[in-house]
Amino acid sequence: MSEKKPNVALFLCKCGANIAEFIDLKEVEARFSGGGKTMFVETQDLLCSPAGKKNMRKALLNNKPDVVVIAACSPKMHEKTFQGVVADAGINMAKMQMANIREQSAWVTADKKEATLKAIALINAALERSVLHDDLHPRTMECLTDLVIIGGGIAGIEAALMAASAGRKVTIVEKEISLGGSVIKTEEVAPAMECAPCLLAPRLSAIRDNKNIRVISNASVTDVLGFLGNFKVKVRRMARYVKDSCIGCEACFEVCPVTMKSGFHLGLGTKKAVSTLFAGSVPAAAAIDKAACLHFIDGSCNACATVCPFQSIDFDDQDEDIEVTAGAVIVATGYGTARASDIPGLGSGKIDNVYSMPEFERIAGSNGPYGGEIRLKNGKPPRSMAVIHCAGSLSDSGVSYCSGICCMTAAKAGELLHKKTPDARIFSVHDRLVFNGPQQHAFYEKQIEEGTHYVKTAQLRSICLAQKDDGIEVSAGDFQPMTVDMVVLSTGITPPEGTDALARILNADLNEAGFFKADHPILRAIGSSIDGVYLAGCCASPCDVATAITRAQAAAGDAIAKLVPGRKIELEVMTSTIDETKCAGCKLCIAVCPYKAITFDAQKKISVINEAICRGCGTCAATCPGDAARAYHFTNQQIMAEIGGLLHG
Amino acid sequence: MAQKPKVAFYWCASCGGCEETIVDLEEKVLDVAAAVDIIFWPCAMDFKYSDIEAMADGSIAVSFVNGAVRTSEQEHIARLLRKKSGLVVAFGDCAWMGGIPALTNLKSKKEVFNRSYCESPTVVNPEKIVPLENSVYQGVPMLLPKFYETVYKLDDCIDVDYYLPGCPPTVKLVLNAVTAILAGTLPRRKSVLAPDKALCSSCDRNETKPDSMVIKEFKRVHQVVADPKTCFLAQGIVCMGPATRDGCDYPCVKGNMPCTGCFGPVDGADQGARMIAALGGIIDAEEEKGIDRVLSGIPDPAGTFYRYGLAASLLGSKRKEKAQ
Amino acid sequence: MDDFNPTIIAFVCNWCSYAGADKAGGQKLQYPSNVKLLRVMCSGRVDPQFVMRAFRDGADGVMVLGCHPGDCHYRNGNMKALRRFRLFERMLSQMGIEKGRFKLDWVSAGEAKRFQETATEMTDAVKKLGPLHLRGMVEREVA
Repeated sequence: MSEKKPNVALFLCKCGANIAEFIDLKEVEARFSGGGKTMFVETQDLLCSPAGKKNMRKALLNNKPDVVVIAACSPKMHEKTFQGVVADAGINMAKMQMANIREQSAWVTADKKEATLKAIALINAALERSVLHDDLHPRTMECLTDLVIIGGGIAGIEAALMAASAGRKVTIVEKEISLGGSVIKTEEVAPAMECAPCLLAPRLSAIRDNKNIRVISNASVTDVLGFLGNFKVKVRRMARYVKDSCIGCEACFEVCPVTMKSGFHLGLGTKKAVSTLFAGSVPAAAAIDKAACLHFIDGSCNACATVCPFQSIDFDDQDEDIEVTAGAVIVATGYGTARASDIPGLGSGKIDNVYSMPEFERIAGSNGPYGGEIRLKNGKPPRSMAVIHCAGSLSDSGVSYCSGICCMTAAKAGELLHKKTPDARIFSVHDRLVFNGPQQHAFYEKQIEEGTHYVKTAQLRSICLAQKDDGIEVSAGDFQPMTVDMVVLSTGITPPEGTDALARILNADLNEAGFFKADHPILRAIGSSIDGVYLAGCCASPCDVATAITRAQAAAGDAIAKLVPGRKIELEVMTSTIDETKCAGCKLCIAVCPYKAITFDAQKKISVINEAICRGCGTCAATCPGDAARAYHFTNQQIMAEIGGLLHG
Repeated sequence: MAQKPKVAFYWCASCGGCEETIVDLEEKVLDVAAAVDIIFWPCAMDFKYSDIEAMADGSIAVSFVNGAVRTSEQEHIARLLRKKSGLVVAFGDCAWMGGIPALTNLKSKKEVFNRSYCESPTVVNPEKIVPLENSVYQGVPMLLPKFYETVYKLDDCIDVDYYLPGCPPTVKLVLNAVTAILAGTLPRRKSVLAPDKALCSSCDRNETKPDSMVIKEFKRVHQVVADPKTCFLAQGIVCMGPATRDGCDYPCVKGNMPCTGCFGPVDGADQGARMIAALGGIIDAEEEKGIDRVLSGIPDPAGTFYRYGLAASLLGSKRKEKAQ
Repeated sequence: MDDFNPTIIAFVCNWCSYAGADKAGGQKLQYPSNVKLLRVMCSGRVDPQFVMRAFRDGADGVMVLGCHPGDCHYRNGNMKALRRFRLFERMLSQMGIEKGRFKLDWVSAGEAKRFQETATEMTDAVKKLGPLHLRGMVEREVA
């Protein structure tokens, strides 16, 4: 510890009349001149002006103080400005402390005397504190520039293509056996009514042909370690039993003796035990459902292996653990849907021809179980349809919010039926409508023009569906009941299954609705609460396809901008550190660190802070019962001195 | 120096446990007695105050003073010994931090007297007679030392050179201190003569503590039989170990009882505040009701976290700056 | 107690309450000069030792103002502060420090008016309580 007391230079800013009119700066100057409190006190008209800064620089170079205190506006206004001036004069930026006498005294204290006394206390506090400051130096770190994208739906695909176009290596981890997500299970995207598989196909080809992109399908992320610039992602690939050489020629489908319900068709259609996800999938390879396959059950069948022209069947395939390193992770896990059978009163699962929206999308899909023929259970096309809005949404038992896109999808359902059966009677039962934007609104008006009946009810939550001889009767208390052939429940968007577990793996926050929480809802909606983990698509909140893609492009763009090959990333300067000689290894700091920046060194039996992850919140320093953790620039000593300065000013 | 160094022992507001630690030295006490010249020990020997007053200033090599300061007599003798001694060692928690007696600083002198002399269940005192500094009995003036409003620690009254923590200090600690004094190998003045690191560093239960520990419920030692191998905090039992100095060889923990903090805080720390900050941080509850429910497991925070050191707490010690 | 002018120290966090106080300044919302602010990065940094030191050194009232639950810039530092100080408050009352002298509350960056109200209400409340007398902090009785 140095015996010599640091020399402090004090600058007082008049801020035009903003401070000078309300605080007696002459009195302040007198208080701090002489008596060894400061090296000198200088009052300026406007410190942040070019002249002010020039004068400050001159005074600093002439006098060479150790520490600079600036009594002026809020540090949120000009801390960076004055740090620059001070650094320019050869003084470390951490040796500058501001006393906020404008926002905290001049502007809020009517009595000039009181304002002056308060300013003196604030300046005194800054003086007492600043002489204890240590130098702080900027820190940088090398970083990886590759990306891992969790989820291979449209958002994951677009993010991957953007990053790959900038030369980054991208790994997509997809839980299904092929890419495509939800959009591949859609027939058309409203309001433009563009063919969804046609939108996707070239994007899927682009992925397949891009050497920078690697797809690990039939896989999930089991752990994510590390931090921005330096992630290690652990992936578990489940055995597929079909090699990459498979081109999806479907020869094995014909000979496979096992027919089973298809998950891709949401149980409405069937597939064989060996099958691709859909024709033209990327990856193209099929997969074998081990639980249904006779070869695995009793060794009795080898039909697919026998007939495969490319020897692609591989019964010996094993689950595999893969480790991928990356600079950033993009979450593009898509969305879930409230299940129709969970919704009371709507008879789904009990009454035939009542479908949730995803189920209807499958029925209408050309890659669906009926080849795009919208049909009832008896095989006939429906001549009438009722779409029930807000099924399972805006209620206490279901989803409490409006997803904002289901009115569009409900209208789309009507439009799809209308295209197939122009004279079908279509009812859209609702209590409110959300059509955001000119094209969306025009689409709604088109439905009305085409004859869709928009039936408004105040009793949407108590709609009753009943099977009658001539169809399904839809009734509530306040409209003429209608009998229709098919009912579609327009269900809302929820976070997908597995979100809780993934959030835990990533150490990222979820919001109240269970979606990933944005770093900042306005300024940084595509960042999560963890640096380097981005949010693309619906995983942060419900949105339509166009928005999902925009978010994906923004996330990828941010990652590319931040992680540039050859350029180091800047680290937080005001981090915390643990005194090795004093740490008893009690681990209580590890439990409170929000960023998992502290780990236990089992050899030395002490806790260690990773200063690359630490964000400088200081809660470890507040917690440490052994006085070993220290928050740079906000040490106990500095704060205690500041308290003393405020009270003995 | 041909003469043996002179040593004094004194007890202020004390329970006598620190005296017993000297007895616990067993046969080693003879070595100590052989190496020094004990010239004052009210507990064990018949020297008088006047003997001390007659001595030259600084002629006592070391005075070991235990107990807190609550009466004018204790303060007087503490000051006297300071005058006559080269070194003064605050022996035990009461002298260092106020000890258990300092917990009465949570009450007023009036409340203390009322409780002890009037309301205590085993006391019958209908006239509510309490001790008085000045009274007369059969014509004879009876004087008692003044009983202070506040319990003070030793260094609130005199300059102290070294501190021996513990309630009482362990035998090992005392022997180390005496050896260092005789050999002249004491550390920097004003040191506490125990490691400046928390107990967890040597406790063998520490490795059972999970990295991300949270507490859903606090259990007290009379409510549950603790697992003898697992960290107490991990079992929801308050253990002061993380906020307490190492150096005692943790006999309490080895006896399956949690540490209560008698070796005091590390340098620069307020023991109770640090434990409150540490425990508060890991409570597993998000809103007021849930937090309060968990905290109901610590019915007496001041007594739990400042059991031995209230007078040394930031809020429990006199404003030295003002008094000077 | 008309002439009693309490001193209130408020620990304010850089991202929310400090900014809220700045906003109050920008809007010229007057509040008692009794309230003096000390900036920390997060309310989760505030050590009970700071509060005790403030009381010891002459503060009659102390506030810790953090971000609203869910808004903490560092995820949940404000929740840690809540838990620590709820335990701390129980101890304060044992030490004879009246309820109302310590307050933990939430003020966001946009809540200029709320900052003004919080500062004013605290000053009024502590004024009514009078100067702080700490037990165990008695002046020396014997020279």
